[in-house]
Amino acid sequence: MSVKETDGTSNYEYVTARVQARRAALFDDEDYRKLVRMGPSEIARYMEETEYEEEVNALGSRYDGVDLIEHALNRNLAKHFNDLLRWADGELYEFIARYLRKFDAWNVKTVIRGVYSDSESEAVEEDLIYAGEFDRQFLDRLVEAGSIEEVVEMLDRTRYGEPLSEAYGSYEETGVLIPLENAVDRTYYEGLMSGVTETDNRANQLYAEFLQAEIDFRNARNALRIARSNADIDPADYFIEGGELFRASELSQISNSLDELVTFIRDSTYGDDLSEALDELERADSLIGFEHALDAALLEYSDHLSHVFPLSICPVLAYVLAKEREVDNIRAIARGREAGLSEDEIENELVML
Amino acid sequence: MMSEMLLAFANAVGPLAQEGAAAAEPAIPASAAAALAVGLAALGAGYAERGIGSAAIGAIAEDESLFGTGLIMTVLPETLVILALVVVFLV
Repeated sequence: MSVKETDGTSNYEYVTARVQARRAALFDDEDYRKLVRMGPSEIARYMEETEYEEEVNALGSRYDGVDLIEHALNRNLAKHFNDLLRWADGELYEFIARYLRKFDAWNVKTVIRGVYSDSESEAVEEDLIYAGEFDRQFLDRLVEAGSIEEVVEMLDRTRYGEPLSEAYGSYEETGVLIPLENAVDRTYYEGLMSGVTETDNRANQLYAEFLQAEIDFRNARNALRIARSNADIDPADYFIEGGELFRASELSQISNSLDELVTFIRDSTYGDDLSEALDELERADSLIGFEHALDAALLEYSDHLSHVFPLSICPVLAYVLAKEREVDNIRAIARGREAGLSEDEIENELVML
Repeated sequence: MMSEMLLAFANAVGPLAQEGAAAAEPAIPASAAAALAVGLAALGAGYAERGIGSAAIGAIAEDESLFGTGLIMTVLPETLVILALVVVFLV
């Protein structure tokens, strides 16, 4: 599964019709309210009666409890996103494939972390999500790698090869994974943006704007984390190109103080959308709340776009985001119940519109 | 693709129209013009059905109970052709 040049025009009608149907079948508030009150095994049973039936049944004999839920979720996610790629043609395929490379980045990071922590290769394999561009065989070989150097070498011919081998030097010096993970993230976001911005199509322009917003939010999130941890790190090292809000140089200046950063975001174009989130951040001093508000803002905006431009990439994007949120939410509920959190605490962890 | 076809069509008909004007009579017989009208209407209906049909198939693939609705939506542009047929009886 690689980004191939498909012939012909994009079949927006077909793909968006299917995607809208699946979007409508996602869990709603009512389902979440029920799930929050259940234990892990009840959640698994509940999932068996929904969309996740096939995965829960297939994995039911091997896992139980939270593990079952987690694996069923990952497998279901991969199935749906592969479906998207299977349906789409032409330009649409390329847009979707680009976005789904997120999972390649995720997989590469998982493998590197697995090797770093000397985990069993089976355990690492279970955490991979087969929804990206790399095929199963390649990922399986990556998992078998004995050292991080080997992983970097194997990725040599992929898009991650060069940035990773550059970052490998600084990993060897410091012994922390951050440079490597950062290189993977940057490669993903840079590949995402290249070529999308110059287009005449209004829907595609908005799509590009949306991706920029996502990158801006990512930068804001990183900057806030650095500012809050008071660590002596230059945020410019973690800066992702392609956004509109920050320049690398600005970011290192303002991220020294949390207040300055919040003021900066409030004065930016996102100020209106994020004002509630920022208030929350200042009042409760909780980064988690702010990050969830960022996610919710993205989700809401993507939904809005999908109604304005029904025959474009936007509905597909909205579905991908909504599906990811659903999987995250169910996982948060299951993990939260297992850890014995109260219903209110779990509800705070959920991203809902 | 549609515009290319229309362009080719205009090129083919253009000379005919000029010859007709010189002879001071219609370029093509009335019945042929009516046939043309039906044909163009059918082309338009077909193009409209292309999009609706693929969306309908997508919806049916997700939910089979939508078969009836999908079918009706798909053939709605067919009314264009039926209305255009009126022209045949008028000339």
